[in-house]
Order: sequence, then structure tokens, then C-alpha cells
Amino acid sequence: MSVRESDVKQAPACTEASLGNYLWNDPPDESKWADCVHCGMCLESCPTYEQTGQEQHSPRGRVHLIKSVAEGKLEVNEAFADPVFACLDCRACTTACPADVDVGGLIEEARGQIRQAMPLTGWKGAVSKFFLEGVFPHANRLHLLGRLLKFYQTSGLQKMARKTRLIHMMPEHLVEMEAILPKVKQPVRQKYKQAGMIQAKGETKRTVALLTGCVMDVMFSDINEATIRVLTRNGNNVTIPQNQTCCGALHVHAGDRETGRKLAKQNIEAFKDADTVIVNAAGCGCMLKEYPELFREDQEWREKAERFAAKVQDISKYLYDTGYEKPKAEIKTRITYHDACHLAHGQGIRREPRDILLSIPGVEMVHMPNADRCCGSAGIYNITHPEMAGAVLKSKMEHVPEEVEMISMGNPGCMLQMAMGVLKYGRNQKIVHTVQLLDWAYQKEDQQKVGESWR
Amino acid sequence: MAIKGGQIKDTHIENLAKIVGTSAILYKKEDLLAYDCDGFTIHRHLPRAVVFPNSAEEVAKIVKYCHEYDLPFLARGAGTGLSGGAIPLNGEVIISLTKMKRLVSVDLENRRAVVEPGFINLKLTHSIADKGYYYAPDPSSQYCCTIGGNVAENAGGAHCLKYGVTTNHILGLEVVLPNGEMIEISTNGVLDPPGYDLLGILTGSEGTLGIVTKITVRILKNPEAKQTVLAYFDKVSDASQAVSDIISAGIVPAALEMMDKTAIEGVEAAAFPVGHPKDIEALLLIEVDGISAGIDEQIQEILKVCRSRNVREVKVAQDEKERERWWANRKTGFGAMGAISPDYLVQDGVIPRSKLPEVLERIRQISEKYGLRIANIFHAGDGNLHPLVLFDSRKPGETEMALAAGSECLQACADAGGSITGEHGVGIEKREEMRFIFSDEEIAAQTNIRDVFNPKNLLNAGKLFPTPGRCVEVKRNEKMK
Repeated sequence: MSVRESDVKQAPACTEASLGNYLWNDPPDESKWADCVHCGMCLESCPTYEQTGQEQHSPRGRVHLIKSVAEGKLEVNEAFADPVFACLDCRACTTACPADVDVGGLIEEARGQIRQAMPLTGWKGAVSKFFLEGVFPHANRLHLLGRLLKFYQTSGLQKMARKTRLIHMMPEHLVEMEAILPKVKQPVRQKYKQAGMIQAKGETKRTVALLTGCVMDVMFSDINEATIRVLTRNGNNVTIPQNQTCCGALHVHAGDRETGRKLAKQNIEAFKDADTVIVNAAGCGCMLKEYPELFREDQEWREKAERFAAKVQDISKYLYDTGYEKPKAEIKTRITYHDACHLAHGQGIRREPRDILLSIPGVEMVHMPNADRCCGSAGIYNITHPEMAGAVLKSKMEHVPEEVEMISMGNPGCMLQMAMGVLKYGRNQKIVHTVQLLDWAYQKEDQQKVGESWR
Repeated sequence: MAIKGGQIKDTHIENLAKIVGTSAILYKKEDLLAYDCDGFTIHRHLPRAVVFPNSAEEVAKIVKYCHEYDLPFLARGAGTGLSGGAIPLNGEVIISLTKMKRLVSVDLENRRAVVEPGFINLKLTHSIADKGYYYAPDPSSQYCCTIGGNVAENAGGAHCLKYGVTTNHILGLEVVLPNGEMIEISTNGVLDPPGYDLLGILTGSEGTLGIVTKITVRILKNPEAKQTVLAYFDKVSDASQAVSDIISAGIVPAALEMMDKTAIEGVEAAAFPVGHPKDIEALLLIEVDGISAGIDEQIQEILKVCRSRNVREVKVAQDEKERERWWANRKTGFGAMGAISPDYLVQDGVIPRSKLPEVLERIRQISEKYGLRIANIFHAGDGNLHPLVLFDSRKPGETEMALAAGSECLQACADAGGSITGEHGVGIEKREEMRFIFSDEEIAAQTNIRDVFNPKNLLNAGKLFPTPGRCVEVKRNEKMK
């Protein structure tokens, strides 16, 4: 799905000439592409190249195009925007690249230029503006949306919409998405609003702050609950800074770096007093760690962002590094693990979640080939590029082993997408977050203890 | 998702689109720009269009069309070639074979597999690994290069020392000739088939004689055992001598690779570091494989040779993981140069093994003369050098200096009784250097062969042979009148 002429309004006057045909501040970083020698080792890692076989949809092709704009050979226009926005931002190329070229960073910077040169208008602009500016950054509105969704699910409206087939008025990919939306529960940010600090069970070893995430807290508040239980069980006091906000990943992916910076500043302030910021959504964690990238032209905030980024930890790595109580209860199940792109490629975290899962007695892990291949969720990519996202999901699902009962992962976007895959391809796996499985094991252990003391 | 909006103004593009469908042709500048070069980035030219056929029949139709209307055209796989073989020098229509990537059949009993040209080299090994088989030619780009491209370039690789290069593994080809006619060439399993060796002519013809649309390759049974040694040396000459000694001792390693200090700096600064010491002058990566009996003895012999040549440290890979780490470090070596230099030019000279110390010394002098660093990562066992000239194309004049330095390295190889290319092909890059090893008459003899297959010279023109070589052709043609 590309940007059409009708979606583009007259480009506003530029702020400052910066680099070749990039006319705005914060242009793609020359030092990032200087390392690319066009060897092509990235090609096979790229899901969009796998699907199309076309080089402008490959990492080195995109880097080449981005560089060409800086050299004045190309304009920032629709034809340039198409390959740049068709990138899933999965970062698999960064893992494959022998020279560590930060293709993801370049893509996001280029998108920033495109969105400033050709702001989205028309319905697409309105929808994008509504969600990116009107909803995600505002916790109360997001929660309201969550409550509406809950009302839809529990009032019988959902049943009615499905029964009357009214739901099929929506585009097919949105119907598929509606079918797998999880049951909405109370967000933890509301629940613990008055609580201040949630106390560790037993001896307090550390105090950590939790990023609740925007979508995570509305759609998957039970994962946030599980995260809190697992943390407190392992000797952590947990705080939930109330003025925290959306991490801004979706905005930065969409090229809205200005809102990204605004949100980043708010989060950096909100977590000012925390020593450790725990994140259970890979996409958010990766974004927080990359805040310094947003402030390349602002030394004061760049330094603040660097200090902040150093405090950010994914839940699985934090548990692995600080040590966690090995669960004693047995969960007899066969599972497989899907590497979320922004965990494996973005943060280099692969072993830790697998280690946690395997520490649960009874869990048997079946290897999924291409486990670190993107599932096609990619933030809101599955909404903006449904066709490509569907093709990527299809090839992902072909690799899910037949015999497993659950697929575990560490990112809410992947969870929704994979749930859709399970439904669409008639599979029956349950989709779980790594920390949920650990939490269940702990809970089972506690129940068994209660049972024993009753006897 | 390729074509949206925009009117097609070029009638040829319209007609080609009728063959492959509008979603399988690129013609906008923004899309074509990604095809202006391959792994050789010094020459850049825009193609007229890129078409993505889905079958041999579509390839034939496209070629027939180009032949009829005198449109220059060429075939492209993954575009990882290092000599510019897929660069559209004459504004060619590029026939991209990336959609023809099916594994057609595997015949374990007769140890052969049939693939389409866009099938990725390493995927073949992955597809048959569970049955205990593999495909031997392993260019460093095997993660992403296509077997069709391997055939065009007669690609080699680290393990070709023992197992031979691509041509030793090709059993049959389906080819679309430059006039659009389709032919099949096969050995039918005969080791020395009667008649001329057409497979041999086509393999390594660098896309100038035809476009392969189906390839029958030999597959091999996995070796029973495999051991890998890593040896660090304080002197390049010691490492070079060790290479000669190992071969003289009667061992045929599966691979015998060398990296020098600058190369080590590159791979250690990049994505797959091993932790090689920074102050050594050279390292050797040696692998032996085969039936289990005798492997340990060979390893002991190799260790003994290394020690006798003053090795600083030598170790045997403890497990498959360590072995893989060593190989990932080696195989991503070229791309890794990006970490220490914005551009590189890789050369591909071949020399007699015994001349290693002498030629490496000359390369060092060339590096000094031009003030450009030259890293060496290469297949020492078969004397196939890869001097990587590091440069910065943004600095005026440096590209030309790099080209001159590269050319001088090849001259050094030719002077030592060697050749100008071992596995990367001539392409655009080494056209002129062909004169180092061939006389005008010898070059003319080869262009004569090309003209039999490719009389209009529409297919990948301007590659493989030096342009002034045409003088001879013209003279000859005049004589024949």
C-alpha cells in the first residue's frame, strides 16, 4: 500500500537545507551508510525481499536509495516513499550485516524526512493522526477506547456484529484482527494508581519501575499483572510512574519523529528517579534504548536520553541477569518460542527468555525454524500494509511446529499477529508471553502448597 | 506491489509487461536505481527496466523479444558478484531470476538435485542436510547468492580446494540462448560424454552465452568427520611456508584459509568477532574432513607443521559452535571491511602456492606506493589471493588509485606465473587485465566462440574481454571479406 498523490498535500516550506535532497533537520545519518559496501549479505534476511525478490525492497537497496537522495540523485517523493515505508523495520538485516550497518535507524530517519516533505492527508492521514496523536499518547483516551472495546465484547454487540455479518463491512484484515482481540481487563496503571509502591514479597533486593505500555496495558493488562507478580516474587519493589506515556515507537516508525521526541522527553522525566526501567514489550524496550537517536541534534537531551537508555531492561534479561527463583511446580506442555524482532535483532536477547521457559519443570521446547523471522505485525504495519503482512505471516506460520501446544514470545504486537495466524490457518496453539508462563508456574506452586497445608 | 500509478510511455516496456504481468516489471527511476550495480560498486549504470519472469518459458519470450528488437539485456541473480557481471553497462533490460527459486527435485540415489537459477546456494544444503547430504561449492556469499549466478561465474569457495569449483558439480543445464531458443545440455551421468564439453563452456561464461533456467547439480554425502584448526603467526612468511608444508606433507585439507593483520582488524571490528589477537601478522584457518579414521593423524601433522613454522598459538575447534564462529568470522570478511573503510575493491588473483611470500610482499609494496591499505583474506591452499584495496570514494581521485593498485596486484600475480581471477570472474573489473595473460589472438579466439552463441552481442555486452580487443576482431572480419 503506497502513498497516493491524493493523500499528499502541498509540501510546506522547508525549515533548513540539510543534506542533498533532504531538506529538513534530522536527516539520515551519513556515517550509518558509510559502512555499507553493498555486499548483499542482508538480502536473504529481509522478509520483503523474500516476498518480492526486488532489490528496492531489500536492505541494501533501501540504503542505496536513502544515500541517493542525500547525493541529490533522487527526490523525496512517492516512489521513494514506497520502498522506505514497505520496510517492516524488523532489523533482521542488522543481525545479518557483517559491518553492523544500522539499516533500521536509516529507515526511520528517512521516514521522518518523507513525512515532513509529504504529510499524510485524506482518510489515511486522518486515521493515522487520530491514533498516533489523539490516542496512544493519552492514557485516559486509550483506556476509554479499551472500555469501549470491552463494552463491545461483553454487551453482546460483538456477538451481534459477528452473527449479522455486519462485521464483514470492514476490510478483511481488520475482520481477522477483530476476531482475536483479547478480553479487555482493567489496566494496571489505573489499578495501582493509589498504591505508590508495590512491595516485594519477602526480602527486598531491588526497586524497579515498570513501563506499562499503551496498548499492552489496555489489551494485555494481565501480562502486566503477571510481570508485577513475577517481579515482586523475586524480591523487587515495583513502582508505576503515573506520568509515563506511550514509548513513541509507532510514531517514530511512521516518520513522526517530532511526537516521538515529545513522548521520549516525557518518559525520560517520568522515570528520572528510577534506577531500572523494566519493559515487557520488545518493541517498546527497543525504542526506549534508542531514544538517544532522536536527539542527535540536541546535546542536552541526547545525554539525558543516553543515561535513561542505560537503565532500560527487558523483563527476561533482567530476571536472567539478577537471578530468579526456579519454579517447582510442573507445567507439562510442549511449546515453541518465537523471537520478537525487537528483542532478538533489536536488543540481542535470544537466550534469556528460552532459559526462563526451560527452567519450568515439564516444559518441553520444540525448535521453530527461522524463529527470528518477522511475523508481519511490525507495529501497525499489519494495518497499513495488510497484503505484505499477510504474506509474511503465512510463511511464519509454515514454520510453527505441528506438535506444540503453545507459542511463547515477548512482544504484544507479535502476540496479536500470531494469534491471527493461528486462527487463520486453523491451528490450535495458545499464544503466551514468556513471563505469563513463569507466572503460571509460580501460581501453580502456590496452589499446591495451599493444597498440602490443607491436608 | 511494484507498479502503482504512472503511465508507461516506453512501448517496449509495455510489451515486456504483457509477458510477465505489470506487477513483475520495474521501470521507474527510483526502483531501477537499486539495480545500477552489483557487489562491484565502482561502475554504475541504470537499466532500462527490470523484469521478473516466473518460468523458463517467460525467460525465452523476453529474450526473443529483446533479440527481435535489438534491445541489450542481461540476467541477474542476487547481484552479489564482485566483478560487475550484472551491471547494465548499455542500459540493458535486466532479467532478474529471483522469482525462479524453486527446488525442482532431489534424487538422493543418484546424488543429484535440480534447481531453478534463483535458488539460494546455502538453501540447497539446508534442504538436504537432514538426509546427510550437502552441496559442496561454498562461496562466502552462499547465504544469499543464487546457484544460477554461481554457474555464470563458475563460483569457488573456501572448500573448493578439495572439492573443486562450481563447474565440477554441474551435471546438466537448461539454457535460453540469446535468440530465445531453449536447449538442454546434460552429461546423463557420463563422466566423459562424447562431443564438446558444452557444460564447461557455459559454466563460467559470465552470462555472455545464454541464460540458465534449470540446473542439475551434484550433491555429496556429508563427510563422516570434520576438524578445524586455527593458527596465529607473527610473520606472514611463516604462515605462507606452513601452507606449502601442509600440502607437501600430502594432506589435502577441505579448506586452507589465510587472513592478514588488516583483514583481522576488519573482521574483529565487525559483527562476528572471534577474539583474534590484534598484534599477529597472519592467521590460518584449516579444515580437514573425510572418513573418521585418519583425521586425528592429519590434525597432529598440521599442528606439527605449524609449530615448526614458529606458530604463536594453534588450537583445534572444540565443538561445532566454535567451528561455526570461526567460519562466520571468515565468510563475512569482505562485508566486514565496511567497519574499517567506506569502500573496498576486492581482487582475485591466483598464484602458485610456492610464490605466496613473494607476492604478498609485492602487494605490501603496492599498498605503500598508493598510500592505500590492502587487506588480504584468501584461499591460501589453492593460491587464490583476495587483496582488498580499502579506499574512500568520496575523496577525489581515490577510486582511480584503488583501481590502479588493484590492477598492479593482478600484474604481480600474472608475473608470478599465475592468473587474474580464480573465482570472481572478469566482468567489467578485469577486462583490461585479460591482456596480462592472453594475447590479442587468444582473446579473439574466445570472442569467436561468444559470437557463435551470441552473434548480435546483445546479451551482457562489454564484459569479460578488453574493448580494444575488437580491433583484432575488426581486422579479422575485414580479412574474411
